[in-house]
Amino acid sequence: MTAILVSLVIGIPWIGALILWRTSDEAPRLQHTLAVAFSIAAGLSSLALLPYATSNTVIDIPMGSVFGNLTFTPDGLAVTLTIIACVIGSLAVIFSVDYMKGEAQLSRYYAFVLLFIGAMAGLVLSGSILFMFFFWEITALCSYALISFYNDDPKAVAGGIKALIITQVGGVGLLAGALITYATLGSYQISDLINNTESMPANLLGLIAFGFLLAAAAKSAQFPFHTWLPDAMEAPTPISALIHAATMVNAGVYLLARFYPAFVHVPGWALSVTIVGLISALITAFMALTATDLKRALAYSTVSQLGYMVYAIGVGGFFASQFHLLSHAVFKALLFLAAGAVIHAAGTRDMRRMGALGRQMPFVRNVFILGALALMGLPILNGFWSKELILEMGLTHGPLWAYVGMLLVAGMTAFYTLRMTWLVFFGKAREALHVHETGIAMKISLGLLAIGTFTTWLLAGPFSHMLQQTLVFHSVTELTTLELVEEILFTPATYGALAVVTLGLGIFWLGRKQAAVGKEARFDILSRESFGFEWLNRQVTSLTLQAGSALQKTQTGKLNWNVMGILGALLAVLAFLLWSA
Amino acid sequence: MTLDPLNAVLIGVILLLAVGFYGLLITRNLIKIVLVLQILVKAVVIALVLAGKASGQPGLGQSIAATVIVADTIVAVVALALAVQVRIRFGTLDLSKISSLRG
Repeated sequence: MTAILVSLVIGIPWIGALILWRTSDEAPRLQHTLAVAFSIAAGLSSLALLPYATSNTVIDIPMGSVFGNLTFTPDGLAVTLTIIACVIGSLAVIFSVDYMKGEAQLSRYYAFVLLFIGAMAGLVLSGSILFMFFFWEITALCSYALISFYNDDPKAVAGGIKALIITQVGGVGLLAGALITYATLGSYQISDLINNTESMPANLLGLIAFGFLLAAAAKSAQFPFHTWLPDAMEAPTPISALIHAATMVNAGVYLLARFYPAFVHVPGWALSVTIVGLISALITAFMALTATDLKRALAYSTVSQLGYMVYAIGVGGFFASQFHLLSHAVFKALLFLAAGAVIHAAGTRDMRRMGALGRQMPFVRNVFILGALALMGLPILNGFWSKELILEMGLTHGPLWAYVGMLLVAGMTAFYTLRMTWLVFFGKAREALHVHETGIAMKISLGLLAIGTFTTWLLAGPFSHMLQQTLVFHSVTELTTLELVEEILFTPATYGALAVVTLGLGIFWLGRKQAAVGKEARFDILSRESFGFEWLNRQVTSLTLQAGSALQKTQTGKLNWNVMGILGALLAVLAFLLWSA
Repeated sequence: MTLDPLNAVLIGVILLLAVGFYGLLITRNLIKIVLVLQILVKAVVIALVLAGKASGQPGLGQSIAATVIVADTIVAVVALALAVQVRIRFGTLDLSKISSLRG
C-alpha cells in the first residue's frame, strides 16, 4: 500500500506533465482542468501517505552496479515535505487558473509545474543519495524553465540562467558527496552513510559534509549564493510561491536536516552552518528594508527566513527548523500568492506606485495581513510559534552573538513586513491604479492558505510524534502542542523577541511618512548590489568570457599544432606514470 | 651483445610510431597525411602481433591485427576519396589553406 502511494505521489504529476506537454494550446480550458485534476490527485495521494509514514524502505529496485539501488523511504520528514510540495503545488496550480488566464503556451507552463511537483516529492522520498541528486537536478531544471517562462523578456532569461548556474555549482557538491560515499562504502544509501560515519576516514566525511553544505547553500539561496533568488522573481507569481518560497528552496534545509546526525561531529560543520544561516538572514533582511519591488522584497524575506532554518540546524534545533519550514511554506506561499493577486490587478510590481489598494481588494488585503503577521512572528499565527522555538533553541544551545544577530533580524523582519503591507494596501493612493477584486480560483487558494496560517502550528504535537516515531537517526524529543505552547509562553526569550519585533514595528510607524518617498536611501546601493555579491557575480561572468577569448587563440585549426598538443599531453602522461612508478 | 627478438620488434614499432608522428607534425599535404597515418597504423598492427606473442595468446593478437588491417584499408580508401573531392572543390591539397576551424 505504502509503495503504491509513493509511486502515485511521484507518478501522477509526471504522467500529468507528459499529458499536459502534448495538449494543444488552442484548448486552454482543457489544460487548466487537466492540470488542476492531476495536481489535486497528487495532493490527495500525498495526504493519504501521512498515516503510512515509516522508517522502512518501501521500494527497492536494483539499477545495476553503477547506480546502486533506487530506494524510497517515506519517513516523517520525507512525508511532511512531500505533502508541502503536493498540496501547496495544487493550490498554486488552482491559483494559476486565474493568474495565467489568456497566457500563451500553457502546455509548457503546466508540464513543468507538474514535473517539478513530482521531482520534489522524489527528492525528499529518495533513500539513495545518487537518485536524490537526480531529482535535485530535475527541480533545478524546472526552476530554470519556469523562471524563464516569459522567454521573450531578456531579464527573465538572464534570471533563469543565473539561477541554473548557481544551483549547478551547489549540485557539484551533492554529486561529489554521493560519489565519495559510494567510493568508501560501496553504497549510495543515506542510511548506510549515517550508520557508518564512525568507520569513515575523517577527511572524507568532512569533504562530504562541506560538499553538502555547499549544495544546500546554493539551493536555498544562502550566503554567499543569495543573489539568484531575487532575480528569479521574473517568474510568474504562482511559480515564485511554489518553487521559490514553499518547496524547492527548502531542499537545501532538508538536505542539512536529513544528514545532520552524520555530520554533527565533523569539526566546524555545525558552526559553519550557524554562520551561513546568520549571515544570510542578516544581510537579506537588510536588503529587504529598502526594496521597492514587492516580489523582490518577499524574495529577500524568504532568504532571511531560510537563514533562520539553517541557523536552527546549526545550533541543533532539528525539529525547530522543520517546524519553521512547515510554517514558512504556508505563510510565504500565502504572501506570494496574495502579492500575485495584487500584481495581477495593478499591473506593476513597484510598491512606490501602489498605495491604498486595500479598499478595492479587501479580501487580498486581509489574507496578506495574516501572512504578514505570521512573517513578523506575532501570536498566535504559525510563524510565531516556530520562530520563537528557533530563537529559544538558539539562546539555549547556540553562541550568544548568533542569537543577538537573529534577534536583530526579527526586528528588521517586523520593520520591512509592515513597510510592505503599508506601502501596498494603506496610506495614500499614489497613482490611480485601476484594480479589481480577485477571481474565485485565486480566492480558493488564498483562503485555504490563510486557514493554514492560523492552524498549522496546532500540528506541532502530531508532527513531532511522527518524526520521533519514524526517524531512526535523529533524536527528536516528542512534544505535544500544549507543551510547546507552555514552553514558549513561559520563556523570557519569547518576550524579548516580541519586544524587538514591537520595536521594529514602532520604528517604521514613526517614519511611515518617509516610506514611499522615491529618493534614494543612503544604503540603497548596498542593497541593490547585494553587499558586493552582484559585483562578484559579474566578475565571475566576465572572467569566464575573458578566459574563453584568451583560450580561443589555441584553436588554430591547424592539424600539425593539434597533433603536437596530443603528443605533448601523451608524453606528459607517460612521464608522470614513469615518475610516479 | 644479443638482442631479444621481441625487444627488436618493439624498437621497430617505436621507430615506426616516431616516423608517423613526425610526419603528422610537419605534413600539410592531405595525400601525405593519409600515407603517414598508414605508417602509424602499420606500427599498431605490428604492436598487436607482438602483444599477442608476448602475452602468450598469439592467435588473439593476430586475429585482431587482421581485423585492424581490414578496417584500416577502408579508412584509407575513404580518406583518399575525400582527398580527391577536396582537390576538386578547393583546388588545393594544402591543409592550412582549406582549414576553416579557426578560433
